[in-house]
Amino acid sequence: MTTPLFDIRNLSVDVPGRRLLQDLTLQLPAGKSIALIGHNGSGKSTLLKTLARQILPSHGTVTFEGRALPDWNARDYARRLAFLPQTTPPAEGMTVRELIALGRYPWHGALGRFGPRDHDAVDRAMVECALEPFRDRMVDTLSGGERQRAWLAMMVAQQAGTLLLDEPISALDIAHQVEVLSLVQRMCHEQGRSAITVLHEVNMSARFCDHIVAIKGGKIAMQGTPADLMQPQVLQDIYGLPMQVLTRPDGSPVAIPA
Amino acid sequence: MTRSIRMILPVAAVLAIGLWLLDARQMLPMADWPAWPFDAQAMSLEQILMAFGMMPRGTIALLAGALLGLSGAILQVVLRNPVADPTTLGISAGAQLTLVMATILAPGLLDHGRWPIAMIGAASAAGLVLAIGAARAFAPVTMVIAGMLVGMTASAVATAITLAQGEYLLSLVIWNGGSLVQQDWSGVRTLALVLIAGGIAAAMLARPLRVLSLGVEGAAGLGLNVALIRLLAVGVAVVLAAAVSAELGLIAFIGLAAPALARSMGARNLYHVLALSPVIGALLLSICDSLVMAIAGQGGEMFPTGALTGLIGGPLLLWLLPRLRGSTPPGTEKGDGTARRRDRAAPLLIGLVALLIAMAVVMVWIGRVPGGWAVLDWASFQAFLPMRLPRLIAAAAAGAALALAGAILQRLTANPLASPEVLGVSGGASLGYAAVIYLVAMPTAAALTMGTMAGGAVALALIGMFVSQRDMPPERVLLAGIAVSALAAAVLSAIMAVGDARAWAVLSWLSGSSSVVTMMGALGLAMVAGLLWIAALAARRWLDILPLGYGVAGGLGLPLRRARMLLILLAGMATGAATVLVGPLSFVGLMAPHVARRLGLARPADHVTGSALIGACLMLAADFGARMAGFPYELPLGLFASLIGAPWLIWLMMRSQK
Repeated sequence: MTTPLFDIRNLSVDVPGRRLLQDLTLQLPAGKSIALIGHNGSGKSTLLKTLARQILPSHGTVTFEGRALPDWNARDYARRLAFLPQTTPPAEGMTVRELIALGRYPWHGALGRFGPRDHDAVDRAMVECALEPFRDRMVDTLSGGERQRAWLAMMVAQQAGTLLLDEPISALDIAHQVEVLSLVQRMCHEQGRSAITVLHEVNMSARFCDHIVAIKGGKIAMQGTPADLMQPQVLQDIYGLPMQVLTRPDGSPVAIPA
Repeated sequence: MTRSIRMILPVAAVLAIGLWLLDARQMLPMADWPAWPFDAQAMSLEQILMAFGMMPRGTIALLAGALLGLSGAILQVVLRNPVADPTTLGISAGAQLTLVMATILAPGLLDHGRWPIAMIGAASAAGLVLAIGAARAFAPVTMVIAGMLVGMTASAVATAITLAQGEYLLSLVIWNGGSLVQQDWSGVRTLALVLIAGGIAAAMLARPLRVLSLGVEGAAGLGLNVALIRLLAVGVAVVLAAAVSAELGLIAFIGLAAPALARSMGARNLYHVLALSPVIGALLLSICDSLVMAIAGQGGEMFPTGALTGLIGGPLLLWLLPRLRGSTPPGTEKGDGTARRRDRAAPLLIGLVALLIAMAVVMVWIGRVPGGWAVLDWASFQAFLPMRLPRLIAAAAAGAALALAGAILQRLTANPLASPEVLGVSGGASLGYAAVIYLVAMPTAAALTMGTMAGGAVALALIGMFVSQRDMPPERVLLAGIAVSALAAAVLSAIMAVGDARAWAVLSWLSGSSSVVTMMGALGLAMVAGLLWIAALAARRWLDILPLGYGVAGGLGLPLRRARMLLILLAGMATGAATVLVGPLSFVGLMAPHVARRLGLARPADHVTGSALIGACLMLAADFGARMAGFPYELPLGLFASLIGAPWLIWLMMRSQK
């Protein structure tokens, strides 16, 4: 078996008075679009932030591509892994192209030259996320879906093999949700990237992701394929609510509260 | 009520009474104490001092403490802000300003008591801060920064007026420090009435306030008239604080400490906090006052108790910071909506350079002479140049340095209200200056500069310790700076209250002047400003990414801690260097980055450069104004700059955002 993307062993995360993640052991496969799901407060965002090195674990180790997280230098890590926080700031006074160009920071650093390779990466990220018509627009004048695409393009320009997304669709309408998630899915399947996405919506996870990790009360509730997830009993375990799974004409399952 | 409250309160009460008795018995053995009712005709001098000095002083300490505690508790509840109190919201400083103004400009107004005058000032300050806060969802940190800015402006104006009137007003400065010395029982009667009225009002407001603690939407959903309740509650708090200001002057931080102590002793419930805060505040101020009397002894009547409470307040604020929850809702700190943006910044920047040079030339060339204005001929131009050039260079460099510090801080914290004034460096620098004045017999200019720099560096190190803590949001850093400033202000007012010529030297330095600058000093300052500009340009990519928040910056591999440390160090050095010249307050560091942004300079390198140039222009203009407005007398530079800056700033902050 190849090295897993993330190898998580006995991971616990504490905040004063509460344990958010309890003794988690988990391996996440490379090259897949992975969904982290669970009820509110289950610890899925905490896990993602720990993987992004935004939170320090209290116990246990996390290994990314065979190297423990504390051993990674900040910029090297950012070259291999891009992270999008749940709420993106307004990016006041920035054009779309400038925002995307910020993704090159791990490569050129604070003082390095913004060279042809950087320009090239920004251009390609813009093409990939279909943002060329907006290149000189101000970020804060874009619609929600366009803005989220611009942030995704920044991550693409980072040329990282792994993307971590914290609820990237929670503020979008259904059309933009589909648009952003298919973009992430395309990035994984066509460009060989890995993505780990925190999602609320079970059906979206099952439809757009290859691998599901469900968290409940700071522990792993279930891990497997979308087909493994879409079972009434499994869903009830995760959300604590009786669920019904229907089958659409094309054979794909849809879950609704029973 | 928890057990710790039941344990601690009686102990504190015994301590307060015991300390007071200790002080009182030193004055007069208990057997000789006058009996009620007091009849001054039948008493010895000691007995009169006891009956009309010591006893009302002890009582008024309790009353004023209770009033401030209640005021702070109400403010903290209604604004849902654990660091709100009459001091941090600028209310006390507002009352102080109107009182100083009335004393000097229209003493007749005070015939009807100091009360209405103090009320006007307190209410205006509170109104201003609330208006600023309302445009920003009452975000706790913004409220405090706005309050401190309003407070600092009020104090600056009060200082200017004091300075303009000469030394006999030094007693006013002492009053500003909050002395509890009493001559009769009238103050006690007044404050007792206010406390009773305030207590009733607070009791009536308690239930609506509890509903309001759910948040605005929740409270409105339950049918509460949020605006009315807020107005009433803040109104009550303002009256309580203004009453204390009118009677006793500025007594800082009791209103902050009392509710905080009540909560840390386990008063979770809003009713408990409202009920306990006055009690704790009363005991706290009483203990402080007794300590002042015990330490300072009989001659210590000049040492204001308010200075001691300020000494406690600074550290307390630092201690409270990590406990401050409910940080700024994202997006609400946005300065002034979407400003337009210029794609090609170079022409504008070149224009600014040209403007700067033109201003400098014009200001050397023209000036006021007795009876009018004059343009110098070539001979006098050559004669004047060596005199005027150093101060022009120094003023421009100081303005540029402050503007650089402001631009860096505003980008680092993503908060448009961040400025060198609230970083605490100025406060530390003032303390360093004062220390040299008091400790060295005949201080040289070099010693004073060194002292100022050292003071600033210590303050900077304190802030640095704070920054190096993980997970400390940058806005908390600003509050840490405010705490350091408060501490410095307390020490300053204490040493000024001792009241001699040295205090005068400190006071006049505080208002800033460029008249004593040598060419060497000016060039040195210019070099510092230049180096800082280069450093800021080198850090431009950090300055680009940091406003996007720590999540994004960390995700891009930015070395967060190192970047924060370096940038704060940079801003601190810039502030320290400029403070030597212009004094601790000028608002140039706050204004210049805003002007630059409104001119359309958005990219960090352009923004930083433009801010520096605008800062230099602003400071040159302020210097010119300071020299010309009061000709042939010269007004203090920093003071003049802040008098120009403050109204503009307040207008900017009150603009509703789109």
